[in-house]
Amino acid sequence: MPVMKDKELRIVGFLCNWCSYGGADTAGVARAEQPTDLRIIRVPCSGRVDPLFIVKALLSGADGVLVSGCHPRDCHYSSGNFYARRRLEVLKHFLPALGIDNARFEYTWVSASEGQRWQQVVTAFTRRIHTLGAAPGFEDAPLLMKTADMAPAPLRPLGTGKNAPLESLKQAIKEKLPDLACVIGWKQGYDDAHTTPLFAKKPEDVDELVWGPLNAANLAVYLPLFKGKKVGIVVKGCDSRSVVELLQENLVAREDVTIFALPCEGTLDMGRVNEKLGRYNVVGGIAHGATNITITTDGQEHDFSMAEYAQNKCRGCTEPEAVLSDVRMGDSPLVQGEAPVPQELALLDAMNLDERRSFWRTQMERCLRCYACRNACPMCVCRDYCISDSRDPHWMTQEAGVTQKLFFQTIHALHLAGRCTGCGECQRACPVGIPILGLRQHIARTVGELFDNYRAGIDPAAVPPLLGYEVEERNIREREWK
Amino acid sequence: MRIGVFVCHCGSNIAGTVDCAKVAEIAKNFPDVVYADDPMYTCAEPGQAAIEAAIHEHKLDGVVVASCSPRMHEATFRRTVERAGLNRYMFEMANIREHVSWIGKEQQANTNKSAELVEIAVAKLRNNRPLAAKTFDVTKKTLIVGGGVAGIQAALDCAEGGIPVILVERESTIGGKMAKLDKTFPTVDCSACILGPKMVDVAQHPGITLYACAEIEEVSGYVGNFSVKIRKRATYIDWEKCTGCGACSEKCPSKKTPDVFNEFTGTTTAINIPFPQAIPKKAVINAQYCRQFTKGKCGVCAKVCPAGAIDYAMQDSFVTEEVGCIIAATGYELMDWTIYQEYGGGRYPDVITSLQYERLLSASGPTGGHIVRPSDGREPQTIVFIQCVGSRDNSIGRPYCSGFCCMYTAKQAILTKDHLPQSRSYVFYMDIRTPGKMYDEFSRRAVEEYGVEYIRGRVSAVYPDGLGRYVVMGADTLLGEPVEIRADMVVLAVGIEAAKNAPALAEKLRISYDKYGFFMESHVKLKPVETNTAGVFLAGVCQGAKDIPASVAQGSAAAAKALALFARDKLENDPQTAQVDARRCVGCGKCIRCCPFGAITETEIRNEKKAQVIETVCQGCGLCTSTCPQGAVQLSHATDNQILAEVNALCR
Repeated sequence: MPVMKDKELRIVGFLCNWCSYGGADTAGVARAEQPTDLRIIRVPCSGRVDPLFIVKALLSGADGVLVSGCHPRDCHYSSGNFYARRRLEVLKHFLPALGIDNARFEYTWVSASEGQRWQQVVTAFTRRIHTLGAAPGFEDAPLLMKTADMAPAPLRPLGTGKNAPLESLKQAIKEKLPDLACVIGWKQGYDDAHTTPLFAKKPEDVDELVWGPLNAANLAVYLPLFKGKKVGIVVKGCDSRSVVELLQENLVAREDVTIFALPCEGTLDMGRVNEKLGRYNVVGGIAHGATNITITTDGQEHDFSMAEYAQNKCRGCTEPEAVLSDVRMGDSPLVQGEAPVPQELALLDAMNLDERRSFWRTQMERCLRCYACRNACPMCVCRDYCISDSRDPHWMTQEAGVTQKLFFQTIHALHLAGRCTGCGECQRACPVGIPILGLRQHIARTVGELFDNYRAGIDPAAVPPLLGYEVEERNIREREWK
Repeated sequence: MRIGVFVCHCGSNIAGTVDCAKVAEIAKNFPDVVYADDPMYTCAEPGQAAIEAAIHEHKLDGVVVASCSPRMHEATFRRTVERAGLNRYMFEMANIREHVSWIGKEQQANTNKSAELVEIAVAKLRNNRPLAAKTFDVTKKTLIVGGGVAGIQAALDCAEGGIPVILVERESTIGGKMAKLDKTFPTVDCSACILGPKMVDVAQHPGITLYACAEIEEVSGYVGNFSVKIRKRATYIDWEKCTGCGACSEKCPSKKTPDVFNEFTGTTTAINIPFPQAIPKKAVINAQYCRQFTKGKCGVCAKVCPAGAIDYAMQDSFVTEEVGCIIAATGYELMDWTIYQEYGGGRYPDVITSLQYERLLSASGPTGGHIVRPSDGREPQTIVFIQCVGSRDNSIGRPYCSGFCCMYTAKQAILTKDHLPQSRSYVFYMDIRTPGKMYDEFSRRAVEEYGVEYIRGRVSAVYPDGLGRYVVMGADTLLGEPVEIRADMVVLAVGIEAAKNAPALAEKLRISYDKYGFFMESHVKLKPVETNTAGVFLAGVCQGAKDIPASVAQGSAAAAKALALFARDKLENDPQTAQVDARRCVGCGKCIRCCPFGAITETEIRNEKKAQVIETVCQGCGLCTSTCPQGAVQLSHATDNQILAEVNALCR
């Protein structure tokens, strides 16, 4: 059934059975007249409302979505609405990153006795949506291509790790190896200019370990595969945060993982490196300077200075050293200054809602739906059971439309809310170079703002904020309904 | 699927603003709908019969009724489809009365909206699966927390009904607040005389196990099968040996110990039995005042105890009890009235609480039942009672009425006249609230027979006049005049508040509490004893202010709920519980961390950790489902696919 043309807009409500649905009933019993736009979906608890239902509705043509539950402290299930409050507040902040006006989504608390309040809420929300008008779609947004700027100067000197005590580290790994199923590290890949993961089981394997700016991959992605086995892993600072987050989420047990760390001097943006190398037949050699590497292909020398070719994330990096390690070597680098706004996020910040919709439409047109972003993500532990390619639950269709692809990005981003360490592997893996990291950075910033500067993957004992709640939230306020 | 849709007219309630026939006509176009009709009253006997007939005739395997709120008749229609041989969960309801016909007058919009609500219901129904309840065994035993009059009544009723009872009391004796009262309204009979025998019954009943000086440490399990860990606080006396002879407290040299039972109106000994009728009648040492503990030497009680029961080295101990249900009857406390600086904030010895006054009135109290001023021991001639001290006062965040103060103030004023015939009593009140049986008559007697002077108004200040008396400044709002009374004594009807650790207990029991700390009943009117956690019931003031008759009634009501629960040998769960798809589960435990009921545990399947739902504990909130990123936990009857079907039906 379509909405009544020129009269109604599509407004979807998710109401908890115990309080708000009862409140809407009370309003009915009191014959409290309301606009007719709202369609109510009854759920047991506001805590049952997955924020993805809301995004799904908004991407599929809803003009407004309203969630209502029991008042805090009055939840039928004692704490369901406390969790809902955090998750829905994060969503409220996140929607504009997609280009959706977050005034189109609201959540509130109405008890079963508050018929009058319900009438007010429905009337005010419907009026608000009518003021905003029909929601603009993504498919027909004008195309807009924008790219992120280069990051500013790094917070620490970038280098090639030439002087890192790699040999001592190898020795240390060999000492521990008898107790471990394997040690994950990097080794030379198909040529000198590329690395590939190393799974060292024997001491001679360990000799293959390499260290340097080519070690861009975050090896923490392999850790959950070894769940239950004792493994070692060599980490850069950023990788260590992924390991810590895995520990926080019980995806890896602390006693099962031995962390070997060297201070990271930065990694190369292999996308740009490969672009500059172009097509070649043979790598003739690679030379590490202190702050640059020289790669010789087909007899031609290419010089890559770290200052110019480092990954963007390395410039804003404040944790070149592992936040948690068992074996640590090398000198601590000096980090100076505050982390800047990441480039992908700055790019989003600089756009208005219309531009962001256009931007994402343009980017999603390019998306191949290859799921490389997901597979590279160390926090995407669902693996074969990702909800984006399952029938039960059936969140996504196999259609190739822009909204489906953007919905997948939203699933990934929201599932990473409060968990993403910003390692950037998703974006690095993207074969068409979509700056999807911006969505994750946007949520990470929101989580920090709402929950006392929380950063994922710092403290193994910390409870991720969306898996907890405070009875009185310091930074979440009930909004007025007038 | 073959779905039948019934669009109810509800007389003119729905049909008045919704074209029901048209809605039924539109519904025929929805997928899988093979039959649609618009009966006049679907919930009436002919309406239900028509549904049953249609199920048989059209071989329906799912039914949608568009009518009133599912909160009204979902259970009714589930039974209807069940009678016709369908699973009760193959039914959905569209609320086109409360959410449509009653809130809008425009027929076209209403008809369109109704058809859409039917469409959502059909979309959901197409994803429904038959669900079956599971049965499980019950431990037929009740645990009661709190041995006040409500808990005592619940314990006796349960035990009389043949259900063993574990009664846990925080203090060293049961009896609660009622044991401290002198007389009770409206009959003015002696509190000890009516409560005492019940306390003795508790002690003597073979079906009741009493743990005094004990508290709830931990609660796990679910209705029918709770496991409760109880902390037995160290009393420093082996109660197995103690005979309650009292020789120890006679000889105890620490005689300046504050007397909790007497509301600090007097002092007692560091080792004592709170009052002669205490149950259990066992001594307890107050380690804060005992010289053996404070000075490290004394041991007098150990020397004089004929039973050798004294054990200074005693530690807290724990017992675990397996029970089938829990009754919370933790009562109340008086609020800290000293925040009222206008009444002296606790600085004036003759400004006391009504409960302290009760101890002065009591023959077993510190003055042997003589009303005397705490400051100088003289009999007061003029007594002012101030009501609503900490009740109905928004300025201190206590808007609620404490319920019984009007009545006990009238009682205390009457008793004062009995004790001191020459005295004069004044009562400052806001409103007189006496709605109980014989209550208003009783308070009238205070005025008409006993000459108590009631002044409608608040007291603005109480201060000493320098000559040993107190000036009470107030206003008579009926006369519109200021009032000034010289009083010998001021009695404050201090408002009640929930017991200090009530919220902590509520969290252990997984029940909700309101912002004042009173436990939340399941439904204000229709389920005043149940909580939202199955198998946990409420009795007495822990749920909200009430007097003795109401507390006793609720104690009995809670016992009735327990007995009804145990009338069956097996319990059935609500099958709307979460289910884990073990293949999808990665064992991260996020659902375990979030579940408000502890209903999800970790299990091992082929050496891999997986989540497992205890179906009997799961309450069906679905928080786990929205928490699990893989969608491995799905709440039956509100699965992702069911809700998505509804969203998809609306947004395309």
